[in-house]
Amino acid sequence: MSFSEIFLMRNELLLVTAVLVILIADLSFDADKRKQFYYFSIFLVFIVTVSGLFPAKSGLLFGGMYQTGPLQAMMKNILNFSTLIILLQSWGWFSHVNQQKRIGEFMILLLSTLIGMGYMISSGHFLMFYLGLELATIPLAALAAYDYYNSKSAEAGIKLILLAAFSSGIILFGISLIYAITGTMYFEGAGQLIDGSTLSVLGLVLIFTGLSFKISLVPFHLWAADVYEGSPIALTSYLSVVSKGSAVFILLIVLNTVFASLNDIWDPLIYIIIIITITVGNLFAIRQRNIKRFLAFSSIAQAGFIMLGVINNSAFGVATVVYFMLVYMFSNLAAFGVVSAISAETGKESIDDYKGFYGTNPKLSLVMMLAMFSLAGIPPIAGFFGKFFLFTAAAEKGYYILVLIAVLNTIISLYYYLLIIKTMFIEKSDTPIPFFKSNLPMKISLVICVLGMVITGFTSGVFDYMVEMSDQLFSDMY
Amino acid sequence: MDKTALILFVISAIAIVGIGMIFSWIVAPKSKNAVKEEPYECGIPTKGTSFIQFRVGYYLFVIIFLIFDVETVFIFPWAVVMKSMGMTAFIEIVIFFVILGLGLLYAWKKNALKWD
Repeated sequence: MSFSEIFLMRNELLLVTAVLVILIADLSFDADKRKQFYYFSIFLVFIVTVSGLFPAKSGLLFGGMYQTGPLQAMMKNILNFSTLIILLQSWGWFSHVNQQKRIGEFMILLLSTLIGMGYMISSGHFLMFYLGLELATIPLAALAAYDYYNSKSAEAGIKLILLAAFSSGIILFGISLIYAITGTMYFEGAGQLIDGSTLSVLGLVLIFTGLSFKISLVPFHLWAADVYEGSPIALTSYLSVVSKGSAVFILLIVLNTVFASLNDIWDPLIYIIIIITITVGNLFAIRQRNIKRFLAFSSIAQAGFIMLGVINNSAFGVATVVYFMLVYMFSNLAAFGVVSAISAETGKESIDDYKGFYGTNPKLSLVMMLAMFSLAGIPPIAGFFGKFFLFTAAAEKGYYILVLIAVLNTIISLYYYLLIIKTMFIEKSDTPIPFFKSNLPMKISLVICVLGMVITGFTSGVFDYMVEMSDQLFSDMY
Repeated sequence: MDKTALILFVISAIAIVGIGMIFSWIVAPKSKNAVKEEPYECGIPTKGTSFIQFRVGYYLFVIIFLIFDVETVFIFPWAVVMKSMGMTAFIEIVIFFVILGLGLLYAWKKNALKWD
């Protein structure tokens, strides 16, 4: 390995450097300069995000354990960008006096998981994949239990760590079976040697199950609502966008490289899971009265929609998934941003508290409305195009009944998304949430999200670019 | 598809564990008394309940100890190949030390090493 090759993992190297610098800065900024420290950390994450925009080379490192290319770089860019937005949204919560001292810890743990996700997405070897997965999961449990005077937060932490232990046990068993059959841990070699025997099918099912826990597909979703409700909002949005996104990306890569020849087997598997996930997610979302639980079930349903793109095992399918993740990031983070602003200001998290919100805070409720429209998939906004491409991907494979069920479910989801809008705009309340001004980082993040939701839908270049990049997964580029 | 391998695998997995457990249950002599039921605590008789709260400081010390314990584990293989790899190996281990040192510095400044 020559010295210049090491820069293939520039994303991870920069993140590690950022973590170390934040570690030092945390010690050197005094208690009265926490806001400067916060902006400094944001600046570092901004640098990492921007550096990802430079064209990425493709290549292998460590004898094929680490592989990277434009597709992986694009996935990492989406994750970095979401993290930046989430950090911008969390100042309202950080600024509470008892949190200020611990901003550094939060940043360090959060960025470590991002490093883990980077290695996971770029892995070309099952052990690297497993290490990245663990690094991406264990700090999350510490972050979920971050609010240590809140018993629900502790519950979320315990649930998340148990889930992580359970799902990684399942994944490891799957990996060991694949190793038993093929005798290699490299994605490339395992993909060529996998023979379709029953043992390899069992390996596929186990690895898929383990990742389904992370993506929170039904029937592996039971942890999601409790963990989302108990965790701090910054982490809830991180779990529902970044953590879920990284698991979807690695699932795409593993299915299309290692298990490419077992396509006949994982197609019906995903087919059934999509139907259950979308239906259960939607039906449960209708009943929720807590906005965080509501968004948890809505994100379960969205995960089902994402799988529509995974089922189409071609460059087009991969591109639809990556595109939808981008759109989903903007719309979900806009919704979480508004929820986070309200929660930091008033501490209210029930949907009933949102009554008459439009009367007092018209701008925030308009952002929330756009986010809900985008999540539901109403035409002029990007969410529509995201869902449309996913449906096209499934239809291209000939699964018309599946698309029909998904479209019916979109209508159900429209009902509960509109319920939120109705609560904010039409229903009256004697004690609405009073008018408040959001802080500057929150404003910036919401503007980015709104622009993203509006513009991404109209620039067709974005999708074309993604299709072009996704070809890489199916041609031998390394 | 060939299912025999899978069925054999499952049966033998259950059998190996199950036979071992059942066999030792049958063969082993059994005796029960109050002293035997007690939790093992270095041979000293237990006093009071074992569900007590103790300082979180123990954990912090153990974690910091673990950092340096693992560090030595990594230094041994490094020392073996150090001569043949030359300067690259040296720079890499320096980076490794700096990162670990930062960890210690962080723990120190955050008062993790103070007992009270």
